[in-house]
Amino acid sequence: MNPKRCAACKYLRRRCPKDCIFAPYFPPNDPAKFACIHRIYGAGNVSKMLQQLPEQTRAEAVESLCFEAKCRVDDPVYGCVGIIHLLQTQIQNAQNELAKTQAEVAVAQTNLSQTQNSDF
Amino acid sequence: MAGPGSSPCASCKLLRRRCAKDCIFAPYFPPDDPHKFAIVHKVFGASNVSKMLQELPVHQRADAVNSLVFEANARVRDPVYGCVGAISYLQNQVSQLQMQLAVAQAEILCIQMQNEPTLQSHHQVLELDQEHKALLLQNNNNNINNCSNNNNTNNNLGYAMSSGQFNSNFASPSSIMQMQMQMQMQDPLKQESLWT
Repeated sequence: MNPKRCAACKYLRRRCPKDCIFAPYFPPNDPAKFACIHRIYGAGNVSKMLQQLPEQTRAEAVESLCFEAKCRVDDPVYGCVGIIHLLQTQIQNAQNELAKTQAEVAVAQTNLSQTQNSDF
Repeated sequence: MAGPGSSPCASCKLLRRRCAKDCIFAPYFPPDDPHKFAIVHKVFGASNVSKMLQELPVHQRADAVNSLVFEANARVRDPVYGCVGAISYLQNQVSQLQMQLAVAQAEILCIQMQNEPTLQSHHQVLELDQEHKALLLQNNNNNINNCSNNNNTNNNLGYAMSSGQFNSNFASPSSIMQMQMQMQMQDPLKQESLWT
């Protein structure tokens, strides 16, 4: 048993076993991290998800779950899907702006070459 | 919602329970689409979804369910990164487009600067007073010198971009979180429906 319980086991008020699946990713000095993830996904679901992943990918999985859980807490209706929508809108606007600017470049280049030709 | 003779909603079917008249899931998980609730239940759990819906006003619950389904699907497709993978990819696209836009805008500026002495030599009327004209001519001389150097740089940038040298690595989750906070400050998320 770990001498110091991980944040998950502290939150769940249980003993923290030596092979606790949460312990490497939820240190006791950051209780909010597990609290947020537990609120959205639940400890059981997170445990199942982590068990199904190879160990070397679990840290990344926990970080992405934490991010999505925080997005959901901040925006209970859209969560991180709101961010995706915002980025898609930004991409659309940037593409339109780029097309417009590239057309302006073409016109400007044409004007310049016409002007240079008329000089001769 | 489910009266006598009517079919229980997809969630009550999966949970094997009686579908109450005021079942919170019933409006959003019809019985003809069992997969929708199954995937949300797999990722979030029925009780968590129920709690989330109860905390929302009724008119926002449909959108919330749709976004939860989207996130759950993303998480099943990519168990490590889920939606964060998509966010990282889109962020990368935005960066690349902004870079291309900056290059195109610089190109226009260069061409416009190259045009200026030609306009002057043709005595076209510029709606500038003498002071601004003098300033423009002074800047123009400097910029033309810079433009002839920049043309090479722009060509190099274009080559580098097309050859993928400027493809940045996907942002780390912590930097995505910082980006999220900045975006929320600059452009608050609209509350209109995403699904219309």
